[in-house]
Amino acid sequence: MFERFTEAARRVVVLAQEEARQRRADRVAPEHLLLGLLRCPGTPGAELLRAAGVGTEEVERGLASPGPHDAAALAALGIDLDAVRRAAERAFGPGALDRPRGQWRAGHIRFDPQAKKTLELALREAIRLSDRHIGSEHVLLALLHPGHTAARLLADHGVTLAATRLVVEQRPDRWAG
Amino acid sequence: MSDATAVAAAASSTDPAVGLAAVAALRGLQESLEELQVRSARDQGWSWQQIADALRISRQAVHKKYRRILG
Repeated sequence: MFERFTEAARRVVVLAQEEARQRRADRVAPEHLLLGLLRCPGTPGAELLRAAGVGTEEVERGLASPGPHDAAALAALGIDLDAVRRAAERAFGPGALDRPRGQWRAGHIRFDPQAKKTLELALREAIRLSDRHIGSEHVLLALLHPGHTAARLLADHGVTLAATRLVVEQRPDRWAG
Repeated sequence: MSDATAVAAAASSTDPAVGLAAVAALRGLQESLEELQVRSARDQGWSWQQIADALRISRQAVHKKYRRILG
């Protein structure tokens, strides 16, 4: 499947990994793909986002707290993540608790099931449009399938799958990539 | 309902979505804390055997898990 990815779409995937790493996430999630898209200005997917008024700032505002730990889920057990973090940082320095586990992960962070699904959906969107390539616009269309934070964020900004498909279909000279 | 009661209710939640997500989050937190402590112990010259004893797991298990990242 990856051999059909355009240069831009491949860059989105690489940048998504970088975003996940920088944000100390355990896995690459769909929102990292969205952030990767935004870091590829001039590509069709990024241009569509720009037209919709979705920028990196908007996405970051909508994302859950950074770091690999889920404060809300832990609170359900009576664990105050902030208290644990403060104790860890007192002993081991700033950011101690939120460092990605295992330095060997630095080179490669795996995709979570939803991010994998998103890449599969990008292929399906390309097939649906009879496109031979899988470009940044197909990645964006894939991200518009509901079921994760990135899709919710995009929906909040009025970006819908149906409308975006129309724009991509009606584009007279299909962008390459 | 007091905070403590709310927490107790959530901790014993019968909704699997809440309970399982909480346990998964706890596992992640435990892994992070374990790595911090193992790293610190190694920095302070503890042997793998000493670390394993303190963690109450086998030396092989500790070594296998951390050798690649801590050496």
